[in-house]
Amino acid sequence: MITGYHPLVKRLLDGELSLAQLPPELRAEGEEALRLVGAADRAPVALSPAFEERVMAVVRRHAASPGRRAWRWLNAPREVELRLRVRPWAVWAGALAVAAGLVLLLARPAPSPEPRGGTQQAHVGTRDSVLVRFVLFAPGARRVAVAGTFNQWDRSATLLVPAGTSGVWTTTLALPVGQHQYAFVVDGARWVVDPAAPAVADGFGRRNSVVAVTAQGGRVL
Amino acid sequence: MRTPQLALGLVLVLSTVLPHGLGAQDVAARLDGRVPPEAQRAVRGIAADAAARGLPVEPLVQKAIEGGAKGVPADRVIAAVRALAGRLGEAMAAMHEAGVAAPSGDVVEGGADALNAGLSGGQVRELMRMSHPPYDPALTLRVAATLAALGVPAKQTVQLLAGMISAGRSLGDLLSLPGQVQTGVSHGATPAQAAAGLARAAGGTPPGRSPGWVPPGQRKGHPHKP
Repeated sequence: MITGYHPLVKRLLDGELSLAQLPPELRAEGEEALRLVGAADRAPVALSPAFEERVMAVVRRHAASPGRRAWRWLNAPREVELRLRVRPWAVWAGALAVAAGLVLLLARPAPSPEPRGGTQQAHVGTRDSVLVRFVLFAPGARRVAVAGTFNQWDRSATLLVPAGTSGVWTTTLALPVGQHQYAFVVDGARWVVDPAAPAVADGFGRRNSVVAVTAQGGRVL
Repeated sequence: MRTPQLALGLVLVLSTVLPHGLGAQDVAARLDGRVPPEAQRAVRGIAADAAARGLPVEPLVQKAIEGGAKGVPADRVIAAVRALAGRLGEAMAAMHEAGVAAPSGDVVEGGADALNAGLSGGQVRELMRMSHPPYDPALTLRVAATLAALGVPAKQTVQLLAGMISAGRSLGDLLSLPGQVQTGVSHGATPAQAAAGLARAAGGTPPGRSPGWVPPGQRKGHPHKP
């Protein structure tokens, strides 16, 4: 079985050479190739009209699908031409406005967590903040939080963790040096001052605890 | 087509007024959901008025948020914020009389706390004058406010802080005063007695200083020229 014709035989099949132009040792191979090619049925295939109709019906059904049309509309690339006529001063003014906006955004004071603590020790956390430990003895409490100016008086922002079943709840916060006010919130509703910290009137008829946070890292109260 | 130019011009104008616009929006955004709706409008008005007078707005917002968090009725929130605005104004006036033309918001807030605790405008001015660097007038005023709130008489509070500062005590020493008074009270002393004990202790040599040390700005006595 011939698995591949000689290049000259291929040229014979392409009509570039005649059988007489092949070397004598290739003429038998050339004759066989011509015989095989000549035996092939080159008559055009005629499909029945019914078959063509069935194929076109399927094509039309797919083309008519709203989902496919929408997808093609969304997915088909389009050419968009944008023409702007802008005077140079307008470009510079826009750039200046954007820069001014960025500067103002960056210059806005970030909400600063203010350090407050009660019965706790403070240790230096970073250069400007101190780790302050808040402790409350609240046996029977289901949930204890500390709220103050350092967390926008958010009752659920800073939860204390129970130390076993002893009724002691604690948490540690990094707070900046200074004096701060706070209170504990027991079970989400009851505001409790820290019994181990000084307290001041809050202006609403209640009291807030006060903690002084120093940079020395020693006991603050 | 002038639309792009007009839009850019509008952006430019808006950027010019952005600080004021953002400030008002910021106050409203911070109050929203935290303060009773009926109090929000009044607090915004008080804050806007304070800002126009050059007073710090942050303490007013904080007080309103605190009231909202504690479930305080709207009228009491408004009253507390209005009272605080008044004290901030008094504190600002005291600062001006003390020769401080443009005190920081922290200093004004500290002065307001001190006034609220019972110190007079004159005592606030005195504390301002003595709080020269490295002492922070805002912290001095806050410590004074806390001491007075704990029951230390206002005059004694000022004297205690003056003694601490003239003795060159550290800022941390000042900040720890309320806690020490609290400790003294828990041991049976009155606030005045506890403060008197601290004042006596302040007259000694600060920790870490040699016995001959004198505070900055004070002259050291000559051993042969009494």
